[in-house]
Amino acid sequence: MIIHADMDAYYVSVELLDKPELVDKPVAVGGPSKNRGVISAANYIARKYGVHSALATKTACQRCPNLTLLPARMGVYVDISRKIQAIFARYTPTIEPLSLDEAFLDVSASQKLFGSANVIARNIKQAIMAELKLVVSIGIAPTKFVAKIASDIGKPNGFVIVKKNQVQAFLDPLPVTRIWGVGKATESNLTTLGIKSIHQLRQLPPKKLTHLFGQQGLHLWQLANGIDPRAVITDRHAKSISHEITFATDIDNREYLLAQLLHLTELVAARLREHKHVGRTITIKVRYSDFSTLTRSRSIHNATYNTQPIWKVVKELFTTHIKTNHQALRLVGVNVSGFNKQGHQSPQQTDLFEPQENETGIDAITDAINKRFGENILKRGATIKKTIGPRGVYDVDLHGYHSRIKYTRSD
Amino acid sequence: MRFKIQREDILKPLQFVSGVVERRQTFPVLSNLLVSAKKESLTITATDMEIEIVTTTKITISEVGEVTIPARKFFDICKALPNEAQLDIAFEAEKNRIIIRSGKSRFSLSTLPATDFPNIEDIKATFSFKIPQQLLKNIIDKTQFSMALQDVRYYLNGLLIEIADNAIRAVATDGHRLSFCETSVDVSPSEVIRIILPRKGVVELSKILENSESLVEVIIGANHIRLCLANLQFTSKLVDGQFPDYNRVIPSNGDKQVYAERDFFRQAMARASILSNEKYRGIRLRLKQDLIQAQAHNPEMEEAEEEIAVEYQGGELELGFNVNYILDALAAIDTDRVKLVFGNANSSCLILPDDEKIHCKYVVMPMRL
Repeated sequence: MIIHADMDAYYVSVELLDKPELVDKPVAVGGPSKNRGVISAANYIARKYGVHSALATKTACQRCPNLTLLPARMGVYVDISRKIQAIFARYTPTIEPLSLDEAFLDVSASQKLFGSANVIARNIKQAIMAELKLVVSIGIAPTKFVAKIASDIGKPNGFVIVKKNQVQAFLDPLPVTRIWGVGKATESNLTTLGIKSIHQLRQLPPKKLTHLFGQQGLHLWQLANGIDPRAVITDRHAKSISHEITFATDIDNREYLLAQLLHLTELVAARLREHKHVGRTITIKVRYSDFSTLTRSRSIHNATYNTQPIWKVVKELFTTHIKTNHQALRLVGVNVSGFNKQGHQSPQQTDLFEPQENETGIDAITDAINKRFGENILKRGATIKKTIGPRGVYDVDLHGYHSRIKYTRSD
Repeated sequence: MRFKIQREDILKPLQFVSGVVERRQTFPVLSNLLVSAKKESLTITATDMEIEIVTTTKITISEVGEVTIPARKFFDICKALPNEAQLDIAFEAEKNRIIIRSGKSRFSLSTLPATDFPNIEDIKATFSFKIPQQLLKNIIDKTQFSMALQDVRYYLNGLLIEIADNAIRAVATDGHRLSFCETSVDVSPSEVIRIILPRKGVVELSKILENSESLVEVIIGANHIRLCLANLQFTSKLVDGQFPDYNRVIPSNGDKQVYAERDFFRQAMARASILSNEKYRGIRLRLKQDLIQAQAHNPEMEEAEEEIAVEYQGGELELGFNVNYILDALAAIDTDRVKLVFGNANSSCLILPDDEKIHCKYVVMPMRL
């Protein structure tokens, strides 16, 4: 069985631990409206007013005039996220973190030791409340897809179990938009066919879906039938590591985009080092305003987990292959793949013009400092300088984005 | 436009120019060759906007004119015709077709107007000199294999040509190894000229230049280089960038000097390389008195060991290399004996011909195995 654990209003809940007087008031975390800031997270009281993440702070304040706005403290969220992960790790080593506040846990192999998935999830929920005073919503199901829906449906403070023989009954009444990968475009295509619920989708022959949506169509049909063979993938077994950012507003300022890419590169490289993966293939991904998506990649000679050589390629790929003069970007991402086998140190060709020791040193110190004082305490200068955004001056180190960690399957 | 030509007379110019034409083109006209029939000569031009090659052939033209023809197809047709075939080539203006007739064969090819064909503007010559073809060919062939291929450091994806007082040098490096070759020539620029010739231009030029004493005129402009031969003119844009200071990375303080029979050493390396890792090509060298031991293995744990008798009196040293880099250097040297200079396990190895009159140097950085 798979558990999907998702913290309720994570950033805000963490802030409220220090400010209990605000507990029964509308509160949000985000950038101030004068800097064209956006909301990163809102508590459930604020959500009643229509305040949600990615909303412009200005709009949020209009909708909810007595909203308390707090600045984001990423370092704190990262530290507490580590503690949450540590609680998960008491019950299973198979943890796939999706972001700071969300993870899949495969407890199939832990049930003899700790009891059923139900019991394990209860224990996790209680431990997070007892030790961290935070609320987590839980979804338990045989597949990742259903577990994620289950945790979401119960929110806030949810606890939903979907047993194997209940999966179809659980899915059938839900709208198709609950399926991963069904965005606005797919939804409107399905609506024209008169399809709104997962039950209706399931009635379509898979051939028709593949005809309409290609490979994606078959995937939709499988999910609608509760088929999701994706396993829970831990970082250790990942075949690639990536970070991406979806912006609150589309951005065409190249300096700003480069700063974001540098930040992503640092995050990816730090995770590579944490798990001692060295990769050779570096890919950047961008999505334009019209949702068209482009990836460009390049392989380097020496597999690496150092920030500088990865950044060099990322920068070159962006500079030479990504045009932003016709359309702004809504998403950028960095991916490193082509790992060596675990424990296999590949030969390192040394370079005539670039000494390698130095850079390794910088990365090791950065990692040590960030581990001790919170993520992103130390970062490269170019990621924090103020730059001109689409409509005003931005502090590049903004938190009005949502960062998603993605994993690819390993076999 | 109409002319008659023997297959062999057109095949050679086509061979020279067709390497320039890219298979995939953004502009359709760049897949074509410009064929111009003037009074007593036929010129064929190919370009990719970076490199342009123009060939001239003396023939009798029955009707002057010019048009562009699909390069690949035209070349393939000429190649496939029998030896000494006579070609009758005529342009049919009303159908925009070029008709090629030879014996019982007839081909009709599409064309694009000659006016659409881009030509490289005046290159604004700043310096020129003449050099025997074979000298230029030699320094290019002895260095070009070390050029980088699609490196982020774009200025390494080409060959540095340095023109100093009475000497011309070629230097290529991909960051892992470096090749240097110098030759004496009667030039005297007011200051040292440094230009970077792009990789593709180097490859094409090496095919064009012949091992002959005949002179080639080299003209250098602000952004271009042009070479004029009897029947051919080659023009290339230059790479706009700063080539790294190669003198800094050619070691001068290595104390471990090894003398080896070049062919003997090369054959041993070639044998050992069979069982080195296909991806990384690592080989381990161990220097001992009058001996180099080489060892290579692959992921299947298959192993090769070679012992090479050499002249060496220094201390023991063990270090790793990409065996291909060693093989390339040994193949480029043409003396019977080579000199190898090592420092320590982290410093580069210098490979030299054992002849002080030949100014070639090969530097290979080690690999941590």
